[in-house]
Amino acid sequence: MALKESEAIVLRTYPLRESDLLVTLFTRLEGKVKGVARSAMKSRRRFGGALEPLTYVRAVYDDRERRDLARLDSCEVIESPMASEVTYSRAAALAHVAELLDEILPDREPSDAVFRLSLAVLHEMRGAVLWMPLTYFELWMTRLMGFLPEFGECVVCGRELDGNRAFYHALADGLTCLDDKRIASSELSPESRKIAGQMLRSRVSEFAAIEWPKAVGQDLRKFLLQILERHIEKKLVTAGMLERIAG
Amino acid sequence: MSRFAEPMTRLIDELKKLPGIGNKSAQRLAFHILRSSADDAAALASAVQDLKAKLQLCTICNNITDVDPCVYCSSPTRNQKLVCVVEEPTNIASVEKTRHFNGVYHVLHGSISPLHGVGPEQLRIGNLLSRVSGGEIEEVILATNPTVEGEATATYLAQQLKRQGLRVTRIAMGFPVGSDIEYTDEVTMLKAMEGRREM
Ligand SMILES: [Zn+2]
Ligand SMILES: [Zn+2]
Repeated sequence: MALKESEAIVLRTYPLRESDLLVTLFTRLEGKVKGVARSAMKSRRRFGGALEPLTYVRAVYDDRERRDLARLDSCEVIESPMASEVTYSRAAALAHVAELLDEILPDREPSDAVFRLSLAVLHEMRGAVLWMPLTYFELWMTRLMGFLPEFGECVVCGRELDGNRAFYHALADGLTCLDDKRIASSELSPESRKIAGQMLRSRVSEFAAIEWPKAVGQDLRKFLLQILERHIEKKLVTAGMLERIAG
Repeated sequence: MSRFAEPMTRLIDELKKLPGIGNKSAQRLAFHILRSSADDAAALASAVQDLKAKLQLCTICNNITDVDPCVYCSSPTRNQKLVCVVEEPTNIASVEKTRHFNGVYHVLHGSISPLHGVGPEQLRIGNLLSRVSGGEIEEVILATNPTVEGEATATYLAQQLKRQGLRVTRIAMGFPVGSDIEYTDEVTMLKAMEGRREM
């Protein structure tokens, strides 16, 4: 038995048997790790709120031989999402981060860049501003996973897109110019391409002071989601929830 | 090929659908039922059938009941102006255990859970809002679980209810964050009710 300790973000829990919880953790040490928290349902005192989704914890777990499930020994809260008010829209935004990480990260493959991105984004999600950190998160996840296409030129003819209209399609990679756009394409506005460019050069905290209603970067988020969902080959439940949330 | 006769296999398959029952437990239970008297087996079967046939949701509070309205909603000795909102019917027993709550209930049958695609539309909130719009209710206590989902549900309900000029309170976090009301002892639950705060 090897006892391991790592910073981690709780992604999901499922009830398992009578009183155990199956926990998916995004650990800094090993990436996504699934483990069992014994008796967590009944004696939650042992883990307290540490197993709530998107809690930033210090986890101790051990890997048992010939089993893919770790045994979660302890979880100490470093930062809880419940420290600030949990509104419906905030809960949906947090769940979106959890679902995307859970779906996209491979098992047991560490990624310090994704870990740092997640922490920074969660930090910005403490208040009422949600659409900015969500946009930043989706953009950077697409980039860090290696799915983000070039914004500057048409994938078909190579024409410069700066100063021109740009389009994307649900089933194709990259952006196209007006001449090469396929039927049923959507437009990615120059403003949103500018936002993406700025976000790729800056920290998420630098956007904290900017007023950011849902409409800002909405086409960019749709574009990014289409890419992400195409790669994980499924629709994200939380994306539909977020769409229904006003403002 | 199954190792058992067809009726046995069928019962085992049905028992396995129950929470916490694996293959081994299902076989053990099935053999127990096989060995028991015909009367006992019939009593079990009819109890299962009656459960579905005779129980329904209270049209006022959504509690599971065999009479509509349920015993709480129809009781002349309970304070009908004080409503305690819970996630599940089983949570009512936890509040009742305190013996200090004399109001009535409202059961949501779940909580807002974005990861499972459950928004406010999927919860039984409509009849709570129509209930309070009648003007008979003075206070609503939100006793959803102290989890992210329970909090999101309470925050959402508080917004909706306060628009109607009601006193809305939230039970205190006397019990640990992340816990489930169902597993809370009566002292903790009582403290949580007493320490409820204005929302
Ligand atoms: Zn082109
Ligand atoms: Zn009732």
